[in-house]
Amino acid sequence: MKDKNPLSPHIQIYNWHISSLISISHRITGIINIIIITLICFWLAFLLFGTKNYELIFNFFGTFIGKFLIVGSIWSFSFQALSEIRHLFWDLGFGFEIKTSNITGLIVIFGSFILTIFLILSKNILL
Amino acid sequence: MVQINLPKNSKIQKGKYYKDNTGSNNIRKVNVYRWDPSTEENPRIDTYEVDMNNCPSKVLDILNKIKNEIDPSLAYRRSCSHGVCGSCAMNMDGKNGLACTKSHSEIKGDINIYPLPHLKVLKDLIGDLSILYKQYESVEPWLKTSKKSEKENIQSMEDRSKLDGLYECIMCACCSTACPSYWWNGEKYLGPAVLLQAYRWIIDSRDEDRKERLKKVADELKLYRCHTIMNCTNACPKGLNPAKAIASIKKMLATS
Repeated sequence: MKDKNPLSPHIQIYNWHISSLISISHRITGIINIIIITLICFWLAFLLFGTKNYELIFNFFGTFIGKFLIVGSIWSFSFQALSEIRHLFWDLGFGFEIKTSNITGLIVIFGSFILTIFLILSKNILL
Repeated sequence: MVQINLPKNSKIQKGKYYKDNTGSNNIRKVNVYRWDPSTEENPRIDTYEVDMNNCPSKVLDILNKIKNEIDPSLAYRRSCSHGVCGSCAMNMDGKNGLACTKSHSEIKGDINIYPLPHLKVLKDLIGDLSILYKQYESVEPWLKTSKKSEKENIQSMEDRSKLDGLYECIMCACCSTACPSYWWNGEKYLGPAVLLQAYRWIIDSRDEDRKERLKKVADELKLYRCHTIMNCTNACPKGLNPAKAIASIKKMLATS
């Protein structure tokens, strides 16, 4: 009988809240960051094999895709860091009221972009 | 197991359209999820045109109006209609809540009404909550004490205040069925409603079974599937905070 009964719709119909949006983004950026760190390790390993490899990667970072990758990964790390700080406060038992969590959520979202711009400008990474 | 798409027999089809026959100048379209267990058909969305000039303020009033005046075959749970019994919990306008306390004036555009998310549907807006009730039973929601005094079991005002924000829970399941973690791990993860109840007994100063209760709930799946998504707190029609209660249990476990 149980198999006959349909399952009521869930993610298809449920509204997104700031908190649920950040939660899923936190997971996605977490996975992306693992991939980025792995790539950085490969990059470092490549450097050991001489200048030609260095030039190859250096030129790649000059292309549009390369720049996009750099900016994207800086944002991904920024978002993860800020969101993790939010989680640390939660673990201490603070910030569970809907209003507070919405405000800290918006801080994480906008803060991640501001931090990204700040990091790019301060280090002249793209120049 | 994460299953984003609905299974084949749960795909929603277009249903019937009930045109208004009162000639009212104030009509709202109400889309309601329907499934009839006596047929082999998939669930469908029926659309009703409802005369809002003669309709009280809550979503439950709309459903009553549909059942009384347009389509008596519509099935949904309701009892007290004052936000105390928790029977009429459903998904309205993409958010869980009690139909009897949700004003339809808060909803813009057409009104979409679904059963509580990710449950086996018994009929129309009625979902099967038997797993949740079994989980509730598993936290043994009753006072455990060895005292057998004839007098009442006294609690200080401070200790009693720890139960505020917990005892008000009416077990309507709005929070648990709003939680994506509960959707994907509903059979193993206890969910916000049951964990809030578990915490209610853990924190009760009269209960002598705190250690055992904590030990029982300290489980990778039962408790730690909570990732602070906060859908539960956003959904609770009584304004309680299950996310905070779960975090308090985690904190107690981390510090004990």
